Amino acid sequence: MFDIHLPIAGIDFNILLLILIGFCVGVLAGFFGVGGGWIVTPALNIFGFHMAYAIGTDLANIFGQSIGATKKHSKMGNIDWKLGSISIVASVVGLELGSQLILKLEKIGDVGSIVRWCYLFLMFSLSVLMFYDYFKTNPKRVKVNSKSSDAKGGTDPPSTRSKLAERLHKINIPPMLSFPTSGIQSVSLWAVLLVFAFTGFLSGFLGVGGGFIRMPALVYLIGVPTAIAIGTDLMTVLVSGAYGCFTYAMKGRVEIFAAFFMLIGASIGAQIGATAVKYVKGYGIRLLFAVMIAFAGCSIALEQVYKITSVPAYQTAAGFVLMGTAVCLTLIVIIKLTVEFRREKRIRS
Amino acid sequence: MSITKLAAPLAIALAISFTLPIINHQYQTAYASETGNSQETELKHKIDTSKLSGVDYWIADMYNNDRVMYAVVVTLVMAVLGTSMAFLTDLVLKALGLEVSKISHRE
Repeated sequence: MFDIHLPIAGIDFNILLLILIGFCVGVLAGFFGVGGGWIVTPALNIFGFHMAYAIGTDLANIFGQSIGATKKHSKMGNIDWKLGSISIVASVVGLELGSQLILKLEKIGDVGSIVRWCYLFLMFSLSVLMFYDYFKTNPKRVKVNSKSSDAKGGTDPPSTRSKLAERLHKINIPPMLSFPTSGIQSVSLWAVLLVFAFTGFLSGFLGVGGGFIRMPALVYLIGVPTAIAIGTDLMTVLVSGAYGCFTYAMKGRVEIFAAFFMLIGASIGAQIGATAVKYVKGYGIRLLFAVMIAFAGCSIALEQVYKITSVPAYQTAAGFVLMGTAVCLTLIVIIKLTVEFRREKRIRS
Repeated sequence: MSITKLAAPLAIALAISFTLPIINHQYQTAYASETGNSQETELKHKIDTSKLSGVDYWIADMYNNDRVMYAVVVTLVMAVLGTSMAFLTDLVLKALGLEVSKISHRE
């Protein structure tokens, strides 16, 4: 029931499943400012979608869903256009360097295992850093922030920034730039370029979109408020998604019908996810982000065990961990949105 | 204001997505004909269109015979569907009272 024939991939696939996968990834993409490719590709694969088409189809979906999410974040004032433009340029350079390094290393031998270990290390390190930030640093910051926000009624005061961001802002190599939308008065262009080139390099080296690397980098290294980091990152995802969609379609790797139905769910989800950002404080978003990448790390660890042992059960478990995490986090975001919206409505009336 | 601001990156995104892969495709095709190396990542298989009809046939035929046009259609369909679905969802959310405007950022 509800099966549709996908002529490009040559298989029958459940239409509701496509919409559901799209919806979950859309909510998370709109809420966290990521593309969500690392969820969709294994999710499609679990349910029998050909891997040859999974990545391209996913990129087509990412492009479509990020249009609406970017628009919504733009409306909420969550996009720093200047910073986003620099991010796109520097990320492309870094990405090219990362992928060139992989190509060189592949000539020496199989680098797949090294890449997966690096990926795993990055996921867990980021997760630990963000959990640490939530449990150790945030209670003080929240107090400072609430007082200052009340006084200024605007963007974050500098005191909410991480120590790494404060150090980065002290680099005085001209030209110096200001990013008023992000509340950054002065920062060296070179420092910003270095951060984005580094995140681009990592995404090129690991072969991932990089949204989950860029978003924390914007918060912890450049000192951008969480909501603006999400919106600005989505702008970069929009551009890279458009490029990925077209280039993979040219290689015949996009199943247009699957992408179409997934996008119906994803566009609705992305709007809901982006709206939820209004109701959740920055540290709450960062906590959920940390949970998400911790479970994604577990999934990659299971995948790595599968590569070592060749027991298919580990690969299946990896896919289910990822899908389970996506569904649970989607529910959390929707529940949080509903609860906070009702509270706001009560206060108004 | 926000739509005007979004139009520029969307236009840049589409321009980049259309031009770079075409240049890359032309370069790789020329390189492949010179060196005899095929493009490893490109799927070469043809879809059997004998049992297809309507939109399925049109898309599959385009996929078989004109990959550049197929890529243009895929990208435009995603852009149009993404924009229109976002617009419709926005209307529904507004009707439910979930309208958003510029927010103050709380860390």
